[in-house]
Amino acid sequence: MEPAEVEFLAEKEPVTVVPNFSLDRIYLIGGDLGPFNPGLPMEVPLWLAVNLKQRQKCRIMPPEWMDVEKLEEIREQERREDTFTPMPSPYYMELTKLLLNHASDNIPKADEIRTLVKDIWDTRLSKLRLSADRFVREQEAHAKLDNLTLMEINTTAAFFTESLNHMYKLRTNLQPIEGAQSQEY
Amino acid sequence: MADELELFEQGSDAGSDEVLLTPAELIRQLEEAWLNEKFAPDLLESKSEIVECVIEQLSHMEENLQRAKKGDLKVSIHRMEIERIRYVLSSYLRCRLLKIEKFFPHVVEKEKLRAKEDPSDLSPEEFTFAKEYLENTEMYLKNVVLKHMPPNLQSIDLLKSVPLPNLDSFVFLRVKERQENILIEPETDEQREYTVDLEEGSQHLIRYKTIAPLVASGAVQLI
Repeated sequence: MEPAEVEFLAEKEPVTVVPNFSLDRIYLIGGDLGPFNPGLPMEVPLWLAVNLKQRQKCRIMPPEWMDVEKLEEIREQERREDTFTPMPSPYYMELTKLLLNHASDNIPKADEIRTLVKDIWDTRLSKLRLSADRFVREQEAHAKLDNLTLMEINTTAAFFTESLNHMYKLRTNLQPIEGAQSQEY
Repeated sequence: MADELELFEQGSDAGSDEVLLTPAELIRQLEEAWLNEKFAPDLLESKSEIVECVIEQLSHMEENLQRAKKGDLKVSIHRMEIERIRYVLSSYLRCRLLKIEKFFPHVVEKEKLRAKEDPSDLSPEEFTFAKEYLENTEMYLKNVVLKHMPPNLQSIDLLKSVPLPNLDSFVFLRVKERQENILIEPETDEQREYTVDLEEGSQHLIRYKTIAPLVASGAVQLI
Protein backbone atom coordinates (compact mmCIF):
# COMPACT_ATOMS: atom_id res chain seq x y z
CA MET A 1 0.00 0.00 0.00
CA GLU A 2 1.20 3.48 -0.84
CA PRO A 3 1.87 5.91 2.02
CA ALA A 4 -0.59 8.26 0.31
CA GLU A 5 -3.29 5.64 0.68
CA VAL A 6 -2.60 5.22 4.39
CA GLU A 7 -2.83 8.99 4.67
CA PHE A 8 -6.13 8.81 2.82
CA LEU A 9 -7.44 6.45 5.50
CA ALA A 10 -6.09 8.70 8.24
CA GLU A 11 -8.09 11.58 6.80
CA LYS A 12 -11.21 9.93 8.15
CA GLU A 13 -10.08 10.48 11.73
CA PRO A 14 -12.22 13.01 13.59
CA VAL A 15 -10.62 16.27 14.72
CA THR A 16 -12.13 19.25 16.46
CA VAL A 17 -12.40 22.53 14.61
CA VAL A 18 -13.73 25.93 15.60
CA PRO A 19 -15.56 27.28 12.53
CA ASN A 20 -15.95 30.99 11.80
CA PHE A 21 -19.07 30.56 9.66
CA SER A 22 -22.50 29.14 10.14
CA LEU A 23 -24.03 26.34 8.16
CA ASP A 24 -26.97 23.99 8.67
CA ARG A 25 -26.55 20.33 9.30
CA ILE A 26 -25.18 18.52 6.26
CA TYR A 27 -26.12 14.98 5.40
CA LEU A 28 -23.08 13.27 3.97
CA ILE A 29 -23.20 9.66 2.77
CA GLY A 30 -20.76 8.73 5.51
CA GLY A 31 -22.82 10.38 8.27
CA ASP A 32 -24.25 13.73 9.31
CA LEU A 33 -22.18 16.76 10.22
CA GLY A 34 -22.99 20.06 11.86
CA PRO A 35 -24.74 22.38 12.29
CA PHE A 36 -21.79 24.76 12.25
CA ASN A 37 -21.89 27.88 14.36
CA PRO A 38 -19.14 30.48 14.60
CA GLY A 39 -16.99 29.89 17.66
CA LEU A 40 -18.52 26.56 18.64
CA PRO A 41 -16.12 23.59 18.54
CA MET A 42 -17.23 20.80 16.18
CA GLU A 43 -15.94 17.37 15.33
CA VAL A 44 -15.32 16.80 11.62
CA PRO A 45 -13.22 14.33 9.63
CA LEU A 46 -9.67 15.47 9.02
CA TRP A 47 -10.11 15.86 5.25
CA LEU A 48 -12.81 18.43 5.85
CA ALA A 49 -10.88 20.15 8.63
CA VAL A 50 -7.84 20.61 6.40
CA ASN A 51 -9.99 21.89 3.56
CA LEU A 52 -11.83 24.39 5.77
CA LYS A 53 -8.53 25.50 7.19
CA GLN A 54 -7.12 26.07 3.71
CA ARG A 55 -10.09 28.31 2.95
CA GLN A 56 -9.49 30.05 6.27
CA LYS A 57 -12.91 29.06 7.52
CA CYS A 58 -11.86 27.47 10.77
CA ARG A 59 -9.26 27.01 13.46
CA ILE A 60 -8.15 23.43 14.16
CA MET A 61 -7.80 22.34 17.77
CA PRO A 62 -4.86 19.95 18.08
CA PRO A 63 -5.76 16.52 19.50
CA GLU A 64 -5.24 16.18 23.22
CA TRP A 65 -2.08 14.11 22.86
CA MET A 66 -0.39 16.61 20.56
CA ASP A 67 1.29 18.24 23.48
CA VAL A 68 4.98 18.49 24.31
CA GLU A 69 4.72 17.03 27.82
CA LYS A 70 2.54 14.10 26.80
CA LEU A 71 4.70 13.29 23.82
CA GLU A 72 7.88 13.43 25.91
CA GLU A 73 6.35 10.90 28.23
CA ILE A 74 5.40 8.65 25.33
CA ARG A 75 8.89 8.97 23.89
CA GLU A 76 10.51 7.98 27.19
CA GLN A 77 8.22 5.00 27.54
CA GLU A 78 8.87 3.93 23.97
CA ARG A 79 12.62 4.06 24.61
CA ARG A 80 12.38 2.25 27.94
CA GLU A 81 10.40 -0.74 26.74
CA ASP A 82 11.45 -3.40 24.29
CA THR A 83 7.98 -3.92 22.90
CA PHE A 84 5.81 -1.46 21.02
CA THR A 85 3.85 0.76 23.39
CA PRO A 86 0.30 1.79 22.54
CA MET A 87 0.13 5.05 20.58
CA PRO A 88 -2.38 7.78 21.38
CA SER A 89 -3.81 7.53 17.87
CA PRO A 90 -3.56 4.76 15.26
CA TYR A 91 -2.66 7.48 12.78
CA TYR A 92 -0.37 9.58 14.98
CA MET A 93 2.25 10.13 12.28
CA GLU A 94 -0.19 11.10 9.53
CA LEU A 95 -2.17 13.38 11.85
CA THR A 96 0.97 15.12 13.01
CA LYS A 97 2.20 15.60 9.49
CA LEU A 98 -1.08 16.88 8.08
CA LEU A 99 -1.88 19.14 10.99
CA LEU A 100 1.61 20.60 11.19
CA ASN A 101 1.73 21.20 7.46
CA HIS A 102 -1.65 22.85 7.20
CA ALA A 103 -2.40 24.29 10.60
CA SER A 104 0.91 24.86 12.37
CA ASP A 105 -0.33 28.30 13.46
CA ASN A 106 -3.04 26.58 15.54
CA ILE A 107 -0.64 24.24 17.29
CA PRO A 108 1.51 25.54 20.12
CA LYS A 109 5.20 24.54 19.94
CA ALA A 110 4.78 22.97 16.52
CA ASP A 111 8.51 22.48 15.95
CA GLU A 112 9.06 20.66 19.22
CA ILE A 113 6.11 18.40 18.47
CA ARG A 114 7.48 17.62 15.05
CA THR A 115 10.82 16.54 16.55
CA LEU A 116 9.21 14.50 19.32
CA VAL A 117 6.94 12.59 16.97
CA LYS A 118 9.88 11.97 14.65
CA ASP A 119 11.87 10.60 17.63
CA ILE A 120 9.03 8.27 18.58
CA TRP A 121 8.68 7.15 14.98
CA ASP A 122 12.43 6.44 14.66
CA THR A 123 12.52 4.47 17.89
CA ARG A 124 9.61 2.35 16.81
CA LEU A 125 10.96 1.71 13.33
CA SER A 126 14.29 0.55 14.70
CA LYS A 127 12.38 -1.88 16.92
CA LEU A 128 10.45 -3.01 13.89
CA ARG A 129 13.65 -3.66 11.96
CA LEU A 130 15.11 -5.60 14.88
CA SER A 131 12.06 -7.81 15.20
CA ALA A 132 11.88 -8.37 11.45
CA ASP A 133 15.49 -9.50 11.57
CA ARG A 134 14.73 -11.91 14.41
CA PHE A 135 11.64 -13.19 12.64
CA VAL A 136 13.72 -14.11 9.60
CA ARG A 137 16.63 -15.58 11.51
CA GLU A 138 14.45 -17.84 13.62
CA GLN A 139 12.27 -18.75 10.66
CA GLU A 140 9.10 -18.03 12.53
CA ALA A 141 5.71 -18.77 11.03
CA HIS A 142 3.69 -16.31 13.05
CA ALA A 143 4.27 -12.97 14.74
CA LYS A 144 2.09 -10.79 16.91
CA LEU A 145 2.29 -7.10 16.10
CA ASP A 146 0.08 -5.35 18.57
CA ASN A 147 0.18 -1.55 18.76
CA LEU A 148 1.90 -1.15 15.41
CA THR A 149 0.16 1.42 13.28
CA LEU A 150 -0.83 0.95 9.66
CA MET A 151 1.75 3.45 8.44
CA GLU A 152 4.53 1.67 10.35
CA ILE A 153 3.53 -1.71 8.98
CA ASN A 154 3.37 -0.32 5.48
CA THR A 155 6.89 1.07 5.55
CA THR A 156 8.21 -2.46 5.33
CA ALA A 157 5.24 -4.70 4.51
CA ALA A 158 5.64 -5.03 0.75
CA PHE A 159 9.39 -5.51 0.86
CA PHE A 160 9.24 -7.81 3.87
CA THR A 161 6.54 -10.19 2.64
CA GLU A 162 8.16 -10.31 -0.79
CA SER A 163 11.52 -11.29 0.74
CA LEU A 164 9.86 -13.94 2.91
CA ASN A 165 8.28 -15.40 -0.21
CA HIS A 166 11.63 -15.52 -1.99
CA MET A 167 13.34 -17.13 0.96
CA TYR A 168 10.55 -19.65 1.23
CA LYS A 169 10.91 -20.52 -2.43
CA LEU A 170 14.66 -20.94 -2.14
CA ARG A 171 14.31 -23.07 0.96
CA THR A 172 11.60 -25.38 -0.37
CA ASN A 173 13.49 -25.86 -3.64
CA LEU A 174 16.52 -27.05 -1.69
CA GLN A 175 14.54 -30.07 -0.58
CA PRO A 176 13.53 -31.52 -3.94
CA ILE A 177 9.81 -32.10 -4.30
CA GLU A 178 8.62 -35.17 -6.12
CA GLY A 179 8.02 -34.48 -9.79
CA ALA A 180 9.49 -30.98 -9.36
CA GLN A 181 6.45 -29.29 -10.85
CA SER A 182 7.95 -25.87 -10.89
CA GLN A 183 10.64 -26.97 -13.32
CA GLU A 184 8.20 -27.86 -16.04
CA TYR A 185 8.02 -24.46 -17.67
CA MET B 1 -32.46 24.87 -1.24
CA ALA B 2 -30.97 23.11 1.72
CA ASP B 3 -33.74 20.55 1.78
CA GLU B 4 -32.78 19.30 -1.63
CA LEU B 5 -29.46 18.18 -0.33
CA GLU B 6 -30.76 16.08 2.46
CA LEU B 7 -30.04 12.45 2.26
CA PHE B 8 -31.97 10.58 4.83
CA GLU B 9 -30.64 7.46 6.40
CA GLN B 10 -32.31 5.20 3.96
CA GLY B 11 -31.91 1.50 4.48
CA SER B 12 -29.95 0.19 1.57
CA ASP B 13 -30.81 -3.27 0.47
CA ALA B 14 -27.75 -5.46 0.81
CA GLY B 15 -28.99 -8.11 -1.54
CA SER B 16 -30.05 -11.63 -0.80
CA ASP B 17 -29.77 -11.59 3.00
CA GLU B 18 -31.85 -8.42 3.16
CA VAL B 19 -29.66 -6.76 5.77
CA LEU B 20 -30.52 -3.13 6.27
CA LEU B 21 -27.45 -0.96 6.17
CA THR B 22 -27.02 2.71 6.77
CA PRO B 23 -25.04 4.46 4.03
CA ALA B 24 -22.21 5.02 6.53
CA GLU B 25 -22.03 1.30 7.28
CA LEU B 26 -22.06 0.61 3.55
CA ILE B 27 -19.05 2.84 2.97
CA ARG B 28 -17.22 1.17 5.83
CA GLN B 29 -17.83 -2.24 4.28
CA LEU B 30 -16.58 -1.01 0.93
CA GLU B 31 -13.38 0.19 2.58
CA GLU B 32 -12.88 -3.15 4.31
CA ALA B 33 -13.42 -5.01 1.05
CA TRP B 34 -10.95 -2.65 -0.61
CA LEU B 35 -8.20 -3.29 1.95
CA ASN B 36 -8.75 -7.05 1.94
CA GLU B 37 -8.59 -7.13 -1.84
CA LYS B 38 -5.44 -5.04 -1.85
CA PHE B 39 -3.54 -7.32 0.50
CA ALA B 40 -4.86 -10.78 -0.32
CA PRO B 41 -2.69 -12.71 -2.76
CA ASP B 42 -5.66 -14.27 -4.55
CA LEU B 43 -8.91 -12.92 -5.95
CA LEU B 44 -11.56 -12.66 -3.23
CA GLU B 45 -15.28 -13.09 -3.58
CA SER B 46 -16.83 -10.21 -5.47
CA LYS B 47 -18.78 -7.76 -3.33
CA SER B 48 -20.98 -6.69 -6.19
CA GLU B 49 -23.92 -5.91 -3.91
CA ILE B 50 -21.89 -3.40 -1.96
CA VAL B 51 -20.53 -1.93 -5.19
CA GLU B 52 -24.02 -1.55 -6.64
CA CYS B 53 -25.37 0.10 -3.50
CA VAL B 54 -22.46 2.53 -3.37
CA ILE B 55 -22.91 3.47 -7.03
CA GLU B 56 -26.59 4.02 -6.32
CA GLN B 57 -25.79 6.26 -3.36
CA LEU B 58 -23.29 8.23 -5.42
CA SER B 59 -25.61 8.84 -8.34
CA HIS B 60 -28.43 9.75 -5.98
CA MET B 61 -26.18 12.34 -4.36
CA GLU B 62 -24.99 13.60 -7.75
CA GLU B 63 -28.59 14.12 -8.79
CA ASN B 64 -29.30 16.12 -5.66
CA LEU B 65 -26.23 18.23 -6.27
CA GLN B 66 -27.30 18.99 -9.83
CA ARG B 67 -30.29 20.80 -8.43
CA ALA B 68 -28.37 22.72 -5.79
CA LYS B 69 -26.98 26.14 -6.50
CA LYS B 70 -23.35 26.46 -7.52
CA GLY B 71 -20.62 27.78 -5.27
CA ASP B 72 -22.36 26.78 -2.09
CA LEU B 73 -20.01 25.60 0.66
CA LYS B 74 -22.28 22.65 1.27
CA VAL B 75 -22.07 21.53 -2.34
CA SER B 76 -18.29 21.57 -2.32
CA ILE B 77 -18.20 19.49 0.86
CA HIS B 78 -20.54 16.95 -0.71
CA ARG B 79 -18.42 16.91 -3.86
CA MET B 80 -15.29 16.20 -1.84
CA GLU B 81 -16.96 13.30 -0.10
CA ILE B 82 -18.18 11.89 -3.38
CA GLU B 83 -14.67 12.08 -4.82
CA ARG B 84 -13.27 10.24 -1.81
CA ILE B 85 -15.81 7.43 -2.08
CA ARG B 86 -15.37 7.19 -5.81
CA TYR B 87 -11.62 6.83 -5.33
CA VAL B 88 -12.07 3.85 -2.99
CA LEU B 89 -14.59 2.31 -5.34
CA SER B 90 -12.45 2.58 -8.46
CA SER B 91 -9.33 1.50 -6.62
CA TYR B 92 -11.20 -1.59 -5.42
CA LEU B 93 -12.48 -2.49 -8.89
CA ARG B 94 -9.13 -1.78 -10.51
CA CYS B 95 -7.36 -3.97 -7.99
CA ARG B 96 -9.68 -6.85 -8.88
CA LEU B 97 -9.14 -6.36 -12.60
CA LEU B 98 -5.37 -6.44 -12.08
CA LYS B 99 -5.68 -9.76 -10.30
CA ILE B 100 -7.94 -11.14 -13.02
CA GLU B 101 -5.36 -10.14 -15.62
CA LYS B 102 -2.62 -11.73 -13.58
CA PHE B 103 -4.33 -15.06 -12.97
CA PHE B 104 -6.81 -15.15 -15.85
CA PRO B 105 -6.66 -18.84 -16.87
CA HIS B 106 -7.15 -19.92 -13.27
CA VAL B 107 -9.93 -17.45 -12.68
CA VAL B 108 -11.85 -18.68 -15.70
CA GLU B 109 -11.14 -22.32 -14.86
CA LYS B 110 -12.40 -21.87 -11.30
CA GLU B 111 -15.55 -20.25 -12.57
CA LYS B 112 -16.13 -23.17 -14.97
CA LEU B 113 -15.66 -25.77 -12.23
CA ARG B 114 -17.92 -23.95 -9.79
CA ALA B 115 -21.10 -25.75 -8.86
CA LYS B 116 -24.25 -23.90 -9.86
CA GLU B 117 -25.42 -23.22 -6.33
CA ASP B 118 -22.09 -21.86 -5.09
CA PRO B 119 -21.71 -18.10 -5.17
CA SER B 120 -19.39 -16.80 -7.89
CA ASP B 121 -16.14 -15.01 -7.09
CA LEU B 122 -16.72 -12.75 -10.06
CA SER B 123 -19.37 -10.24 -10.90
CA PRO B 124 -20.98 -10.86 -14.32
CA GLU B 125 -18.97 -7.99 -15.81
CA GLU B 126 -15.74 -9.32 -14.37
CA PHE B 127 -16.49 -12.76 -15.79
CA THR B 128 -17.02 -11.33 -19.25
CA PHE B 129 -13.76 -9.44 -18.90
CA ALA B 130 -11.87 -12.55 -17.79
CA LYS B 131 -13.28 -14.65 -20.62
CA GLU B 132 -12.45 -12.06 -23.26
CA TYR B 133 -9.01 -11.53 -21.83
CA LEU B 134 -8.38 -15.27 -22.06
CA GLU B 135 -9.65 -15.50 -25.63
CA ASN B 136 -7.69 -12.48 -26.76
CA THR B 137 -4.48 -13.69 -25.17
CA GLU B 138 -4.84 -17.08 -26.80
CA MET B 139 -5.55 -15.48 -30.14
CA TYR B 140 -2.60 -13.16 -29.81
CA LEU B 141 -0.15 -15.90 -28.89
CA LYS B 142 -1.40 -17.98 -31.79
CA ASN B 143 -1.14 -15.24 -34.38
CA VAL B 144 2.19 -13.90 -33.29
CA VAL B 145 4.15 -17.02 -32.40
CA LEU B 146 2.41 -20.37 -32.25
CA LYS B 147 1.30 -20.71 -35.84
CA HIS B 148 4.87 -20.22 -37.01
CA MET B 149 6.10 -23.05 -34.81
CA PRO B 150 6.54 -26.69 -35.83
CA PRO B 151 3.19 -28.51 -35.55
CA ASN B 152 4.12 -30.38 -32.38
CA LEU B 153 4.79 -27.11 -30.54
CA GLN B 154 1.67 -25.25 -31.58
CA SER B 155 -0.38 -25.77 -28.46
CA ILE B 156 0.06 -24.05 -25.16
CA ASP B 157 -1.56 -24.81 -21.84
CA LEU B 158 -2.18 -21.45 -20.23
CA LEU B 159 -3.17 -23.08 -16.95
CA LYS B 160 0.36 -24.38 -16.63
CA SER B 161 2.15 -21.33 -17.95
CA VAL B 162 0.53 -18.65 -15.82
CA PRO B 163 1.58 -18.78 -12.17
CA LEU B 164 -1.01 -19.49 -9.50
CA PRO B 165 -1.60 -16.97 -6.73
CA ASN B 166 0.89 -17.60 -3.97
CA LEU B 167 -1.32 -18.55 -1.04
CA ASP B 168 1.75 -19.20 1.10
CA SER B 169 2.65 -15.55 1.22
CA PHE B 170 2.57 -13.70 4.49
CA VAL B 171 -0.09 -11.11 5.28
CA PHE B 172 -0.67 -8.63 8.07
CA LEU B 173 -4.07 -8.69 9.71
CA ARG B 174 -6.16 -7.25 12.52
CA VAL B 175 -8.59 -9.51 14.36
CA LYS B 176 -12.23 -8.43 14.45
CA GLU B 177 -13.72 -11.50 16.12
CA ARG B 178 -11.77 -13.63 18.55
CA GLN B 179 -10.54 -16.93 17.07
CA GLU B 180 -9.18 -19.91 18.92
CA ASN B 181 -6.70 -22.60 18.00
CA ILE B 182 -5.33 -21.41 14.72
CA LEU B 183 -2.85 -24.05 13.64
CA ILE B 184 0.55 -22.69 12.67
CA GLU B 185 2.52 -25.03 10.45
CA PRO B 186 6.24 -25.30 11.06
CA GLU B 187 8.66 -23.51 8.75
CA THR B 188 11.49 -26.00 9.12
CA ASP B 189 11.74 -29.66 9.95
CA GLU B 190 13.14 -28.98 13.41
CA GLN B 191 10.14 -26.90 14.43
CA ARG B 192 6.84 -28.26 15.62
CA GLU B 193 3.40 -27.08 14.70
CA TYR B 194 1.53 -25.13 17.34
CA THR B 195 -1.70 -23.23 17.77
CA VAL B 196 -2.37 -19.61 18.60
CA ASP B 197 -5.48 -17.77 19.71
CA LEU B 198 -6.28 -14.58 17.87
CA GLU B 199 -7.57 -12.05 20.39
CA GLU B 200 -9.97 -9.38 19.26
CA GLY B 201 -8.14 -6.23 18.22
CA SER B 202 -4.71 -7.86 18.09
CA GLN B 203 -2.51 -7.74 14.97
CA HIS B 204 -0.59 -10.57 13.40
CA LEU B 205 1.79 -11.56 10.63
CA ILE B 206 0.87 -14.96 9.31
CA ARG B 207 0.66 -17.05 6.15
CA TYR B 208 -2.40 -16.20 4.09
CA LYS B 209 -3.32 -19.86 3.60
CA THR B 210 -3.82 -20.29 7.35
CA ILE B 211 -6.41 -17.57 7.68
CA ALA B 212 -7.96 -17.31 4.21
CA PRO B 213 -11.38 -18.57 5.40
CA LEU B 214 -11.36 -15.95 8.18
CA VAL B 215 -10.83 -13.18 5.63
CA ALA B 216 -13.78 -14.48 3.62
CA SER B 217 -16.02 -14.64 6.70
CA GLY B 218 -14.99 -11.17 7.82
CA ALA B 219 -13.52 -12.30 11.16
CA VAL B 220 -10.19 -10.70 10.35
CA GLN B 221 -9.21 -7.62 8.38
CA LEU B 222 -6.05 -7.56 6.28
CA ILE B 223 -3.88 -4.49 6.82
